[in-house]
Amino acid sequence: MNGFIAPAIGDQIGVLLPYLIVAGGGLLVMLVDALVRTKRKDHLSFLTMAVLLLSVLAQMRGGFGGESVVLSGMLTVGDYSRYFNFLFVGCAVLTTVFAGAAFERSGRQRPEFFPLLLFCVLGMMVLAAASDLLTVFLGIETMSLSLYVLAGGVRGNVRSAEAGFKYLLLGGFASAFLLMGMALLYGFSGGTAFSDIARALAAGASDRGLAVLGGGLMLIGFGFKVAMVPFHMWTPDVYDGAPAYVSGFMATAVKAAGFAILARFACLMQPQLAFSWYPVLVGLAIVTMSVGNLVALAQNNIKRLLAWSSIAHAGYLLVGIVTLISPAAGNSGQMMLGREVGESAGAALLFYLLAYSLMNLAAFGIVGALSKADKEADEIERYAGLSRRKPLAAAVLAIAMLSLAGIPPMVGFMSKFYLFSAVVRAGLVPLAIVGVINSLVSVYYYLRVIVVMYMKQPEDGGYDSADTVAVSAAAVLAGLVLLLGVMPDSVHRAAQEIFRQITF
Amino acid sequence: MVVTLNHCLLLAAGIFVVGMTGFVVRRNALVMLMCIELMLSAVNIVFAAFSRQNGDASGHVFVLMNFAVAAAEAAIGLAILVEIYRRRRTVDVDELKSLME
Repeated sequence: MNGFIAPAIGDQIGVLLPYLIVAGGGLLVMLVDALVRTKRKDHLSFLTMAVLLLSVLAQMRGGFGGESVVLSGMLTVGDYSRYFNFLFVGCAVLTTVFAGAAFERSGRQRPEFFPLLLFCVLGMMVLAAASDLLTVFLGIETMSLSLYVLAGGVRGNVRSAEAGFKYLLLGGFASAFLLMGMALLYGFSGGTAFSDIARALAAGASDRGLAVLGGGLMLIGFGFKVAMVPFHMWTPDVYDGAPAYVSGFMATAVKAAGFAILARFACLMQPQLAFSWYPVLVGLAIVTMSVGNLVALAQNNIKRLLAWSSIAHAGYLLVGIVTLISPAAGNSGQMMLGREVGESAGAALLFYLLAYSLMNLAAFGIVGALSKADKEADEIERYAGLSRRKPLAAAVLAIAMLSLAGIPPMVGFMSKFYLFSAVVRAGLVPLAIVGVINSLVSVYYYLRVIVVMYMKQPEDGGYDSADTVAVSAAAVLAGLVLLLGVMPDSVHRAAQEIFRQITF
Repeated sequence: MVVTLNHCLLLAAGIFVVGMTGFVVRRNALVMLMCIELMLSAVNIVFAAFSRQNGDASGHVFVLMNFAVAAAEAAIGLAILVEIYRRRRTVDVDELKSLME
């Protein structure tokens, strides 16, 4: 990455425009909230969406292709980071809709929600483009600090406060490991840029143990952020205690951000550390998938079910990362064959993250739409008969569940198909078999929700009111799940194109 | 006695382990927050030590950033903790059970 000629300052600002818009937008929304004292806060959610859409426009302004290294190597902005930025912004727009609807229903406004969401998105965008340990750290912390408040800041709700506090305690603990890993890697390579680390690794410096230890500690930190077993203990409690619209955001955009940096980092460390890095990741992937799916079988609370399901999906995504750095993928780019495997694995990873975000946001959106001010709609038993009381909400949730289970023609099937075919192409057949068995197990608990909604007799106390706005937004997502499931080619090809261009 | 890199690293490792042990053993949320701060301080020592060793300033920059982030984290943590204490009258994490099944 070094050796690039730094673009002129004007060009740098052009490249950084989306980031500046989101950062400035967050400040603006905060200011508007302080100055415009009205009861209703609709203008804040509209302003937030306007800022997000503006950042998308700024993103597309320079066209696609090519990578520019800005801020003296701190950020590498290219199609890879752009893809993730679109994903983050999309998730944030829908979260704004869901959150606005929830505030409306509960009659309790949370004006601080909108600027925090924007800052959170900023952290993720920085993370997806980071090419220096410092930007990785700042991105993760900007994202996490906003999330702690988003999850824990529902006033007067002690469950939310406990969720936020638990997330903060364990998040801070994990950050300390991440930072210690960064410090050791810095000591090993003498610089904080990824290019310095790559050079030091390639030069085969003597104290390789320092790099292995540093990389391992950083993996713990990342593992916490993406809810990888055994660093997943916070996930069910936090997703359960946080309001549904925040849980949905955490399960999708935050996970995508974690994987964006994990993929880049794994590729950075892999070529020289194959002996210690690769088997560990294979083991973690298998354990994460299996634990997530097995524990999800026993859940009666839909938010906890979705939390365990998100752990299981982190496992599938880890399989994608394992394939990306597998020996067959040869990401140092020596072999033509290897390039192809790496490309298909990378594309599968990107496609999976998009698919997973769509279906999971739809599911959490419906849970949020059915929730009341003081009680979230989390008991699966009370979904009985929803198909008769709220047919659209039930249909959307059913589509999301089928897609999460990986049943065609939903996008969840295509994403698993791409993923496991990349795994097989890399010659990791046993890993693919474990993955497929896990998806089969998961069908049970996803289908259970559908069975309850469609086949069980409605009882008293079932959920019977749904927010129209939130359900329509979730319905749009469900439509996308179907559309992308039938026609995944264009997005998948774009994802492949992204990995054709970059060498991490 | 000359203070070498290894002395600094040993000190940092000691502080890090104290923080880690404290976080795992103690149940008082305030003490747990302090243990995290202790671990972050250990990280700062490592960065400063390597920065001096390598004659490179980016480690020091990292330390400064780390201060800011640690302060923000502590502020948010204490704010949420005050909210919990108002309702629960306790800061013992074992008592915070409304999220357990």
